[in-house]
Amino acid sequence: MLLEVKDINVHYGKIAALKGISLQVNEGEIVSLIGANGAGKTTTLKTISGLRPLTSGQVLFNGEDISKLAGHKRVQLGIGQSPEGRGVFPGMTVQENLLMGAYTRKDDLTADLDEVYELFPRLAERKNQFGGTMSGGEQQMIAIGRALMTKPKVLLLDEPSMGLAPMLIAQIFSIIKEINKRGTTVLLVEQNAQQALKLSDRAYVLETGRVVKSAPGLDLLDDPQVRAAYLGGH
Amino acid sequence: MKGGGVTGKANPLARVGALFDGARDWWEHAKVWQRYLVYIGAIVFALILPAPWIGSFMSPGADWTSVLIYPVGTYILLAVGLNVVVGQAGLLDLGFVAFFAIGGYSVAYYGTQYGWNYWATVVFGIALAAVSGVILGAPTLRLRGDYLAIVTLGFGEIVRITANNTDEIGGARGITNVPHPPPMFGMKFLLDPAPYYYLMVAAIVLVIIFSVRLQKSRVGRAWAAIREDEDAAELMGVPTFKFKLLAFAIGAMIGGLAGGIYAGKAVFIEPNTFPFILSATILAAVVLGGAGNLPGVMLGAFVIAWLPERFREVDWLKDMLGGKDPSEFRILLFGGVLVLMMGLRPEGLLPSRRRKAELHEGTGGMGAMGAEVAGPETEASTEAVK
Repeated sequence: MLLEVKDINVHYGKIAALKGISLQVNEGEIVSLIGANGAGKTTTLKTISGLRPLTSGQVLFNGEDISKLAGHKRVQLGIGQSPEGRGVFPGMTVQENLLMGAYTRKDDLTADLDEVYELFPRLAERKNQFGGTMSGGEQQMIAIGRALMTKPKVLLLDEPSMGLAPMLIAQIFSIIKEINKRGTTVLLVEQNAQQALKLSDRAYVLETGRVVKSAPGLDLLDDPQVRAAYLGGH
Repeated sequence: MKGGGVTGKANPLARVGALFDGARDWWEHAKVWQRYLVYIGAIVFALILPAPWIGSFMSPGADWTSVLIYPVGTYILLAVGLNVVVGQAGLLDLGFVAFFAIGGYSVAYYGTQYGWNYWATVVFGIALAAVSGVILGAPTLRLRGDYLAIVTLGFGEIVRITANNTDEIGGARGITNVPHPPPMFGMKFLLDPAPYYYLMVAAIVLVIIFSVRLQKSRVGRAWAAIREDEDAAELMGVPTFKFKLLAFAIGAMIGGLAGGIYAGKAVFIEPNTFPFILSATILAAVVLGGAGNLPGVMLGAFVIAWLPERFREVDWLKDMLGGKDPSEFRILLFGGVLVLMMGLRPEGLLPSRRRKAELHEGTGGMGAMGAEVAGPETEASTEAVK
C-alpha cells in the first residue's frame, strides 16, 4: 500500500472538519474522493500533503508515519499536489512555474520538462507567458505539470475540473488517465462525480467529514444512492 | 486590486509610466557592458549629487548634503532592507523601525559605555538586529497578512517603549555624545557631512549588491514563490517558514546597519528618533516605488524623503497660503501626492514586470500581503470545510 490514511480527525478551530476518515491508495491506482461542498475532500488532501495539521490519526506513506512531517519534506518523499484553486504563481512564467516544481531536485530536469510539454502542448507554446495571464484551463495544466515536476509517487489533484468548459474537462481527465498509465498513482478530489468515477479504480464518498461509502468507481456509478445524490440520476 | 482602472487620456501619469516601463524593458534586454555602464553612471551620479549647484534647487533652505544623509540616504537604506521583507518575501512588517533603533542604540550604548570601536558596534548592532528579527519571527511568522502586520507593529512599539523606560540606555533622555566613525581613507568624520554621505553611499551600494545577489539565487526564487502563493510554495518543497524567518533576519540586518550609520553621525539618539510613523513612511516608500523592484524602491524612498523637505521652500505655496509657512502643510501635501499616485499608478512608480502580473492576477503578492484573501476566482468559502 502506497498511501494509507488511518482514522484522521482535523479541526478548524473548534469545528471538526474530518471525523475519522480512513482510506487507502495502492500503487498504480486512480482513487477518487467525491462528495458535496463541505464534505471534507480538500481538507483530506491538505492533511495528506501537510498543509493542515491533524488532531489525531495517522497518515502513512510507504508504511512510514508522516503525520508530523512538514509539508515541504513530504514533497521529497514523493507526494505531489495540484492545490485547490490551482495556486499558479502569477508573476512567474509557465516555464518558471514548472521549474519551481523541481525546486528540491538536483538531477537533470530536461526529460521531465519535455514530458510535461508533451502532455500539455499548450504550455510549450506559451513557455514565456506569465502564469497569471493564462486562462483557467491553462492554469490547471500548469498546476498539474508543476506537481509532476516534483516527481511524485502519488499525485494529489484537487478539483482539476473546477471552472473549466466541458471540452477542457474531458481533455484534463484524459491527461490524468495518461499520467496514471505512465506509472504515477493518482488521488483525485472531484465534484464532477460522473467523470471522476468513470476514470477511477476505486472511489470514496465523503459526507460531512466521514467516509460513507467506498467501492470500485464503476460500481458507484450504478449505485442508486450515489446516482441520486451526486449524479443527478433517479 | 485591478491596476488597469485608469488608463489612456484620463491618466496624466500614463506617459511617464510608459517611459518607466520602456526603460525597464530596455534594461531587461540590455547587454552586460551596457548594464555596467549604467552601474558606473549611477555611482558617479551618487558621488556628484551633493554638489552645491544641484543642492541650490533641490534643497534651497537646508544643507543639501545633510538632507541627502538624513532623510534621503537613510530612507533608501531602510527601504532596501524592508524591500527584502515586503517586496521579496511578501511579508507585511509594520515595525521595521525597531531594527533601525536596535542598530542605532547598539552603536550609541556600546560606544559610550564600553568605548568599543565604532565598526565593532555597527557589526554587533547588525547581529543584534538579526537575532531580534529571528526572535520576533519565530513565533509570529506562523501568522499571515494582517495578523503579522499587527504583531510587528506591536514589536516596533515595544522596542521604543522599552528604550524609553530603561535607564541603563538613557531612558527618555536618550544617549548623547555618540562616537563618530574613526577616520578612513584620509577622511575625518567630524562636523562636515560629506564623509558621512560617502559612507552612506558605500553602505547603500553594498546592500544593493547583496540584495540583488539574493534575489537571483535559490533563496530569491523561494521568496518569490512564498510571496505569490505560500501554500503552493510549500507544495513545491520550499521550507516556507525557514525562508520567511531568513527574510526577516536579513531585513533586520539592513535595518540595523542603517541605524548604526545614522547614529554615527547623529551624536544624539533618543527613543523618539524611532517612532511608528517612520515604519509607516518606509513602507509607503517601498509600496510607492514598486515593491520588489530595487530601482523603484529607491526612487520611492527618495521621493518620500525629499518631497516633504522640498515643500518647505515652495514660494508660490507661500503666496497661496497668505504668507503662512508651507512647512506646516507639508505632510498634508505629501499625503495628497500619495493618494494621487496610488489612484493613478497603483502598482508603484517603477514596478517590476512580474509584480504587475501578480497584481493583475487579483490575489497575488502585495495585494493580499500573503493573507488568504478570496479573489474573483476563488470560492467565498476558501477556509470553510470542503
